[in-house]
Amino acid sequence: MPFLGTALNGAGLIFLTHAVYSTHEHSVAFAASPVPLDITIELLLSIFLLSAGIVLSSPDFKPIQWAQWSGKISRETRKGEGQWTREGEEFLSEGDPYAFLGLDGGIGGKSEGRRGFWDVRAKRKEYEEWVKSGGQS
Amino acid sequence: MNEERELAINPIVQTSVQHNTQVVSNIRNLTASLFGVAAGTLGLESYPGFVFYLVGTLIVSGLVFVFRAEGKPSEYFHRPLGDLWGGDVFSGLSSFVLTWTLFYGLVRA
Repeated sequence: MPFLGTALNGAGLIFLTHAVYSTHEHSVAFAASPVPLDITIELLLSIFLLSAGIVLSSPDFKPIQWAQWSGKISRETRKGEGQWTREGEEFLSEGDPYAFLGLDGGIGGKSEGRRGFWDVRAKRKEYEEWVKSGGQS
Repeated sequence: MNEERELAINPIVQTSVQHNTQVVSNIRNLTASLFGVAAGTLGLESYPGFVFYLVGTLIVSGLVFVFRAEGKPSEYFHRPLGDLWGGDVFSGLSSFVLTWTLFYGLVRA
């Protein structure tokens, strides 16, 4: 869907620019006469394309009922929104106000730096699979 | 009292409500200035311009209803009528008038 939204936005912007430019030229050439029908149609079409593109490229709504919201999270897991380490921990560096200090790798680059929260469900599943497979590492 | 009990049984996720309101207000702000461009270029004056804006916001609400809310606005809004159809209509009016007058002056005058 983001591709469609971007395409609509691009086409709409081109049409809009063309229509506004045409209107300007027309008003310079024939000051008194009203805007021709084809320019009006092009303008309205471009506005419609652009607003459809804006709506399509905006982020999805989130359900407000607690039951649906938590159900959606446990179905789709929380993965995919940010960066994750191999151990299944989410990086929280996005909102880190001290990122400019360059201490993400720890002081002197020796430690592991800032860590996010554990993905407990994934860890639990991993453990269950380990137990089922006989506890061999 | 009834609504309070309803909320206790089916609680509402505040961050989702905020996110949805934010999305709607973003869409409204962007499209409002867009409609201003169109109204100014068409050379609309006084009441027809405002009618144009209201019709435009209605169309955008319809698009949001179909594409973002998937026809079920009560899943995403506490009060669908006020938050989806009427949400931020009048806060977008100022940016509409801004671009309306700007493009009227640039193109027609």
